Amino acid sequence: MKRVMLLASLLVLVVTSAAAQDLASFEKRTSMRKLDNGLTVIITERRDAPVFSYATFVNTGSAQEVPGITGLAHMFEHMAFKGSDRIGSKDWPAEQKALAKVEEAYAAYDRANRAATNRDEEEVKRLDKAWKDAIAEADNLMENDQFSEIVDRAGGVGMNAYTSSDVTAYFFSLPSNRFELWAYMESERFRQPVFRQFYKERDVVMEERRMRTESSPVGRLVEEFLATAFTAHPYGFPGVGWPSDLHSFSATDAAEFAKKYYVPSNMVIAIVGDVSPAEAWPVIDKYFGRLPKAPQPDTLRTVEPEQKAERLVILRDPAQPVYLEGYHRPSSLHPDNATYDVISMLMSSGRTSRLYKSLVRDKKIAANSAGFNGFPGEKYPNLFTFFGFTTPGHTPDELAAGIAEEIERLKTEDVPEAELQSVKTRVKAGLLRQLASNSGLAENLANYQTLRGDWRELFREVERIDKVTAADIKRVANTTFKPSNRTVGKIESTPKGAAK
Amino acid sequence: MKRFRMNVLSAALLLIAAQAFGQVNSHTEIKTPPLRKFSMPQPKRIALANGMVIFLQEDHELPLIKGGAIIRGGNRNLPAGKAGMAGIYGQAWRTGGTTTVSGDKLDEMLEARAARLETGTGGDTSNVGMDVLKGDFDTVFPIWLDLIRNPAFPEEKITLAKTQANAGISRRNDEPGGILSREVTKLGYGADSPYARQPEYATIASITRDDLLAFHKQTVHPNNMIVSFIGDFDSAKMEKRLRDTFSSWPRGPQMTKPAGGVTAAKPGYYLVVKDDVTQANIAMVHPGIERNNPDYPALQVMNEIFSGGFSGRLMQTLRSQRGLTYGVGGGVGSNWDYPGLFRLQMATKSGTALESVEALRGEVVRMIDSPATAEELALAKESILNAFVFTLDTREKALQQQVLLELYGFPADYFTKYPGLVEKVTTADVARVAKTYMHPDQLAVLVVGNEKDFEKPLSSLGAVTPIDITIPEPQTSSGKSTAAAPSASNSEGTALLRKVQEFVGGKAAIDAVNASRIASTMNLHTPQGAMTAETTTVLQYPSTMRQEMVLPMGTMTTVVTPSAAFMITPMGTQDLPGSRKDSAVADMRTDFFHILKSADNPKYVFTAGGTEKIGDTDTRVLDISPDGGTVRWYVEPATGRIVRTVRQTTAMGGPAEMVTDYTSWKKFGNLNLPAAATVTRNGEKAAEITVGNVEMNPAVDAASFTKPATP
Repeated sequence: MKRVMLLASLLVLVVTSAAAQDLASFEKRTSMRKLDNGLTVIITERRDAPVFSYATFVNTGSAQEVPGITGLAHMFEHMAFKGSDRIGSKDWPAEQKALAKVEEAYAAYDRANRAATNRDEEEVKRLDKAWKDAIAEADNLMENDQFSEIVDRAGGVGMNAYTSSDVTAYFFSLPSNRFELWAYMESERFRQPVFRQFYKERDVVMEERRMRTESSPVGRLVEEFLATAFTAHPYGFPGVGWPSDLHSFSATDAAEFAKKYYVPSNMVIAIVGDVSPAEAWPVIDKYFGRLPKAPQPDTLRTVEPEQKAERLVILRDPAQPVYLEGYHRPSSLHPDNATYDVISMLMSSGRTSRLYKSLVRDKKIAANSAGFNGFPGEKYPNLFTFFGFTTPGHTPDELAAGIAEEIERLKTEDVPEAELQSVKTRVKAGLLRQLASNSGLAENLANYQTLRGDWRELFREVERIDKVTAADIKRVANTTFKPSNRTVGKIESTPKGAAK
Repeated sequence: MKRFRMNVLSAALLLIAAQAFGQVNSHTEIKTPPLRKFSMPQPKRIALANGMVIFLQEDHELPLIKGGAIIRGGNRNLPAGKAGMAGIYGQAWRTGGTTTVSGDKLDEMLEARAARLETGTGGDTSNVGMDVLKGDFDTVFPIWLDLIRNPAFPEEKITLAKTQANAGISRRNDEPGGILSREVTKLGYGADSPYARQPEYATIASITRDDLLAFHKQTVHPNNMIVSFIGDFDSAKMEKRLRDTFSSWPRGPQMTKPAGGVTAAKPGYYLVVKDDVTQANIAMVHPGIERNNPDYPALQVMNEIFSGGFSGRLMQTLRSQRGLTYGVGGGVGSNWDYPGLFRLQMATKSGTALESVEALRGEVVRMIDSPATAEELALAKESILNAFVFTLDTREKALQQQVLLELYGFPADYFTKYPGLVEKVTTADVARVAKTYMHPDQLAVLVVGNEKDFEKPLSSLGAVTPIDITIPEPQTSSGKSTAAAPSASNSEGTALLRKVQEFVGGKAAIDAVNASRIASTMNLHTPQGAMTAETTTVLQYPSTMRQEMVLPMGTMTTVVTPSAAFMITPMGTQDLPGSRKDSAVADMRTDFFHILKSADNPKYVFTAGGTEKIGDTDTRVLDISPDGGTVRWYVEPATGRIVRTVRQTTAMGGPAEMVTDYTSWKKFGNLNLPAAATVTRNGEKAAEITVGNVEMNPAVDAASFTKPATP
């Protein structure tokens, strides 16, 4: 991307070979190391302003959960803001004992509370109180939210995290003179995470569930839809967790989960900004080298079996109609991944996309409609999902028919060369535009390194997309978009109080 | 020289290595070197004689050029009766293209180049922006210019934008968070305020192409515009190009902001009942400040202490310590040239709704009664000042800041001076501004939720004003039919429909019918000749039907339900193909009795038109858009009797016009229903129907609607 290369006469070349060139330029500015404990760290220099952004990706998401602990990956993500033995404690030895007491008290309460037979009401009450008393005692020994306070004070912005089905990601940005502080804080929270305020935070997560899933019609539909589309694979579990699990799992469960999955060899950190690798590596070694080496967790055994029959979920709700249909497709490591990406662009990207032109612009039956990959994740075989929101007076069935028509075209007609070319040009330009932001870039590099095994795949994917042909699209559409491979979900508007 | 450098380098490395050996036990042991000095290049400002201001910022990192025009005038400059027009205008501007190139053509042209050219209109400005690969600039620039000056606003794209807007209206009560933010804004500014008014079907329907053209003419003048570009270009060349392009454009009338616009709601409790949620969404509001208020820096510090990030008081207390909420936030808000709102919001489980209202209000009181400590002040100031570098860490942000300051008439060094002002804020300032700008007794408190699950009724806290969020049905005074289906009934249409309801037996009697079984004899005229079918039709409103026709070749049964559509014939069972299913569904929707039952459904639009003579009867035309599609009824105005219905259908091979003449009506139980009818298809007689028996609300076997298992 160096300006020198952009002689006007070479412009065409620049656009067509943008990906290759970006990669070359990026390799110069990017260094990557694997520490002795297995942690992968990527640094990309971007020296404009004295700031940097980072993203830590843990190759663990809600797909690593099993019944009983659904929601725990996300719960741990919340706990990673609670500090360590050195951050957030008034008196660690005392707090450690108090927290152990909370766990004991909780285990006793939980056992009594969930007793299937001969439940002793009085005993449950007593144990409940003992548990809450233990919490109060532990709470006295901590500094509330010290971790975030330190980051805020240092001028941190955009501090947040998310848990997807595939990964857990942590990120923020700091002025570049705080690099060492960052290395300390980020390594500290994974070196010895402390599960203080665990049960309060569980309530917070329940509120998150109420907000995103229970109080939102689309949230309710999506939960039912995924639970139906996946019969064996954990992609069918809600990332936020089933309510019963959220009400019962413990800090001990979370600690075990972290011990198994939060190991350096399962983590990638990408740093982008005003950071000199020569100065940064020793700091990174010093702090992140403290994370103990541990074996890489086993890969997931369960593979979603082939779907043999179409599935349907209908949410009858006073809300306006929504239509979803998902088709199983292979993981993002599959050679056809680029073709799926192109299909998604053809169907959904921009005002020239097929679904927009047909359903939104011409038929006016949809307020919007699109088809996208990677639902709910991409690491494992997942869903290519189409959706549509009706305009007033139109039904989900009309959207289904409209989408079916466009799928039929994919299966039977060759995509015209100009249309395919337009998509490819936009993919290349899209990559270019992504490179402009430190935080976006850090997330992308960490994401590709984690899920595709190499950050360079970010650029290579664009090259692969460039090679997708009309024949590829037809073939993939025919193998994927079959009724027997489909799960349909819809909201049918039903007046308030009607039978559901 | 070289040697010396190496020494410095190795000394530095040694230092780092020495540092690396030390064990760090606390974040306080980590030294913070001074932040590297840097200065972000500022854009060049160019003022043209016609009042246009241009900003240019070179940025050669990527081969891209981005830019656009910001034009004064937006939602607040539009009449109240046209709420929603800003959105329609901003959308149709781009999708409608220019007087020389259609919007659809622009889409193809631009997307093939990965170029973006977009328009949008917000509260007080419009924006015509472009974002292109450098090599496409010469191609896209003239289009951008053409779009600014010569938009076409074709009816077709206005209709599209209106359809989208109506979809937004229909969906606005689906998510509780959406209800909260809309209603709290109305409480803060007053429902009629240009900063809060909400579009309705009727206001959308009233917007015309002339309105859009007039607003364009009113606003798009060089003296109302700020043009800015950033990217991989040469400023001198760009400046010449823009001067050549814009200098000869004469000034027009200046846009101003309307006066007032803030009529806060009375303090007290307001309730929106939403019963399909497990959370109560809570907000509190009263007016805030304008950006030019000298207390703005002190208020930013106060906001940081009150609700900044995870370490602010609200998150600390309500989330971390009490586990009441996932998200809580707010503060004393400001806008550049009109008052912001002091506004707080949170969501909590229904069972802690009132506890949370009290706790949130308690934090407001505490901010006044227990003002910030020195420690809180230091944390807030450090957070703001240390993060200040992020307000200016890209060339694009430097440009955006200057455009903003120009737009609202603030000095160009406003942001440079800002950290100094924050630096000066004291605990006394924070205590003072908390008292001056936060008024717990003046808050309008809004709760959206399922009140029966609250721990106590909201009224236990004080008098409650319920807010009805029912979406008003479309209504307009003139029902002149246009190319597009009208989106609102006219009053004559509604009246005529009532007349038909009376004729049939009254609304109550009609609504009491949930299902019917009708036995009739059909005389069918088919290409194979005439044949008679004894037919039994079971209808379960609104969308389930089973029809059995006994024909010479055997019994044909058609079943349509919301989830299935199939046909049972002597040859076996098969699904109805998509088109047949659609037409069967449409048939049900256009069934005259179903329409009568749907009189109050806002998706059914009734428009009375002219008069026409059918046979010997003078009739009034009633056009109906029943939830998609259209039907026309010819009604005897004096009696309300339907004489004829006409509808378009795609049944049985292609589009057709189906005309049904009702030749006699008869009392069946308490209802007056057709006893005989003739059906004509595309002018050819298709069937004569004689009704034998009608049973209302018959016992219906649910199994009769399920598809028999295939053997």
